[in-house]
Amino acid sequence: MIKNSPFNWILLILSSLVLLFILAPLTGMFLHTEGSKLLETVSDKDVQHSIWLTLWVSFTATFFFALGAVPLAWVLARKKFPLKGLVQGIIDLPVVLPHTAAGIAVLGFISRDGFLGKVADSVGLTFINRPAGIALAMAFVSLPFLINSARDGFAAVPERLEKAALTLGASQSRVFFSISLPLAWRNITSGFVLMFARGMSEFGAVVIIAYHPMIAPVMIYDRFTSFGLKYARPASVVFIIIALAVFIILRLIPAGRNHLNSRPHAEND
Amino acid sequence: MLKMIDVNKKLGNFALSGINLEIPEGEYFVLLGRSGSGKTQLLELIAGLYAPDSGEIRIAGKDVTRTRIQDRNIGLMFQDFAVFPNMTVSGNISFPLRCRKYSHADISRMVAEAAEKLNIDHLLDRLTNNLSSGELQRVALARTLITSPRLLLLDEPMASVDASLKDDIRRIFRQLNREGLTILHVTHDYREAISLAARVGVLHNGRIIQEGKPGEVFRRPENEFIARYAGIRNFFRVKLYAEDGSWNAVTGNKMVISIPPDEYPVEGLLAIRSEEVKILNILSAGNSQKNMFRAVVREIYPSETGMEIILDAGEMIHADITMNEFTELNIKELSVVWITFSSEAPIVFSGKELI
Repeated sequence: MIKNSPFNWILLILSSLVLLFILAPLTGMFLHTEGSKLLETVSDKDVQHSIWLTLWVSFTATFFFALGAVPLAWVLARKKFPLKGLVQGIIDLPVVLPHTAAGIAVLGFISRDGFLGKVADSVGLTFINRPAGIALAMAFVSLPFLINSARDGFAAVPERLEKAALTLGASQSRVFFSISLPLAWRNITSGFVLMFARGMSEFGAVVIIAYHPMIAPVMIYDRFTSFGLKYARPASVVFIIIALAVFIILRLIPAGRNHLNSRPHAEND
Repeated sequence: MLKMIDVNKKLGNFALSGINLEIPEGEYFVLLGRSGSGKTQLLELIAGLYAPDSGEIRIAGKDVTRTRIQDRNIGLMFQDFAVFPNMTVSGNISFPLRCRKYSHADISRMVAEAAEKLNIDHLLDRLTNNLSSGELQRVALARTLITSPRLLLLDEPMASVDASLKDDIRRIFRQLNREGLTILHVTHDYREAISLAARVGVLHNGRIIQEGKPGEVFRRPENEFIARYAGIRNFFRVKLYAEDGSWNAVTGNKMVISIPPDEYPVEGLLAIRSEEVKILNILSAGNSQKNMFRAVVREIYPSETGMEIILDAGEMIHADITMNEFTELNIKELSVVWITFSSEAPIVFSGKELI
C-alpha cells in the first residue's frame, strides 16, 4: 500500500468522522456530569432498583428464550423445509418494526383480552406492569440477534463432524450436545450477549407494556420529561457505565479456544 | 458381508443408479472413481447417513436398508478424518464408547489399547488442532475401530496424508484386513487399488461399470474410461482388418499393429500400456518381427518407477522403462531406437464400449 496517498487520507478522515460522531455525544455527556451528581445518582434507591431490574429482567428473558431459540437456530442451519425463507423473514421482522408498534403488538397478545394474557390470567398471572411483561417485550425485539448469530454458528460447524458422530454411534441429541453446541458455542454466547444488551436498552416496546416498574431507559426518559436534561444526564451516565461493564464482562467469558478457526496444520514428521 | 441389490439414490442433480455390489467377508475391495463419481455418497448410503430411494442393502445376510445408523456397526473413516476439534485425542477415541455407555474402567483400558496399537499413545491428552495429517488419520482410525465394526469404509484415506506416510497407512490397512476385517476403500488412484485390493470396482457417473481382480480390470479394461483410469496413455483410433487369419489395426498415421485374434468391427480404439512397450538399441535387432517399429526419442522424464520416454514411431508412444534399462540403452532426445510390444499387449475397444 502506498502511504500518504490522497485516498488513504480520505479514508482516514471519513473513518475518524464516523468514530467521532459516536464518541463525541458520549464524551460530552460524561464531561457535563459533575462527580457529586453522579455519586448522588448512584446512591439513589430508585436508580439502583431500575438498573438492577433492567439487568435481571433482560438476562432472564435472554436465558429462557435461548432454550428455544438455540434449537430453532440449529434447525434453520441444518434442515431444509418448505417456506424456510418465510420463517427466516419472520424471525428478522422485529428488527425492522418500529419498537412502539412492536410493543403494541405484544400488548395485544399479553393483555387480559389477548391469547397469552387469557391463559396466564387463568393461572393467576398478569403481564402488564410486571417484570414478566417487560421480559416479553424485551425478548420480542431482541430475539433475532440470538437466533441469527447462533444459526451462523451452527452453519459453520462442518456437517461431516455431525455425520461422523452419527456413524460412531451417537444419538441425534448427543451429536447436538457434544458436537454442534460446543463448536457453535462462541457464536451462541456472542448472540446471547447481543440479545441481552439489546433487551437491556429497549425503550419503545417496554414503555407500552410497563411504565412501572421502571427499567433504566424508561427512568431516564421519565427524568428527562419531568425534570429536564440536567437530571436525566447523571442517570444516563450511570446506566451506560453499568451496561458497558456488563457487556465487557460477558464478552470476556467466551474468549476461550475457538475450535473451528484454529485449523489443523500439518507438521513435518 | 456386504450386499447391495439394485440400490438407487437421487442426490440433488446426481444419482447413484442400479448399484449391485457384493463384498464377501474378509475381502479388501477398492472402488475406483473420479471426484464427483458418487464414491462418498455410496459410502454414506452404506453407513446409513442416507436411505436409498429403492433397493436393498444387506450386511451379514441381514437387511439393514432401514436400520438406524447407530445400530449398523459400520466404521466409516472420512476423507479429512472428521476428528472432533473440541475434544482431546483420547476424547475422540473414547467417543463411540461413551455413546454406548461403557464403564470408565473399560473406556480407559480400551482407549489405551487402541492408541497403543496405532502408535498414538503419547498423544492421548493433546488437543487435535496441532496434530499432523498422519496423526489425525490414526486418531480417526482408532476412533472408528474401537467398537470393532464388522465393515470398515474408507473414503480416500490416502488423499490427505503426506506421501511419506502412505506406506505406513497401507501396512495398517493390510494388517487389519489380514485380521479378518472386511474393507471397502474408495479412491481415485488406481495405484492404491493395485497395492491393496483383492477386488476392484470402477464407479463412473453413479454406476459401477466394471468389477473384478485388479489384474483383470487393469490389463483388460472394459472401456476407454477405465483404461485411462488405469494409467494407460497410449490410445489410437484404428481401423481393423484381418489378413491371412491374423488381425491388424492401422492407425491414422499408418502404423500397422498386430493384435490378438478375435471378432472385431471395422473401427475401434486401441490402447497399449506404456509398461508393455520395450525399447531396443537400434544396433541390436532387425525389423523382422511384428509390432517392431523404428522410433525417435522425443522426450524423457523421470517417473515413479524409472523413466518415461515419449517416442515418435509415426504415432507418439509412451514407454515406461526402469532406470537400469535406461542406463543400458544410453539414449537421449533424438536417439533412434526400435520399439516393440507383444501382439497380446494391444487392447481393442470397439462398439458400445467406446465412451
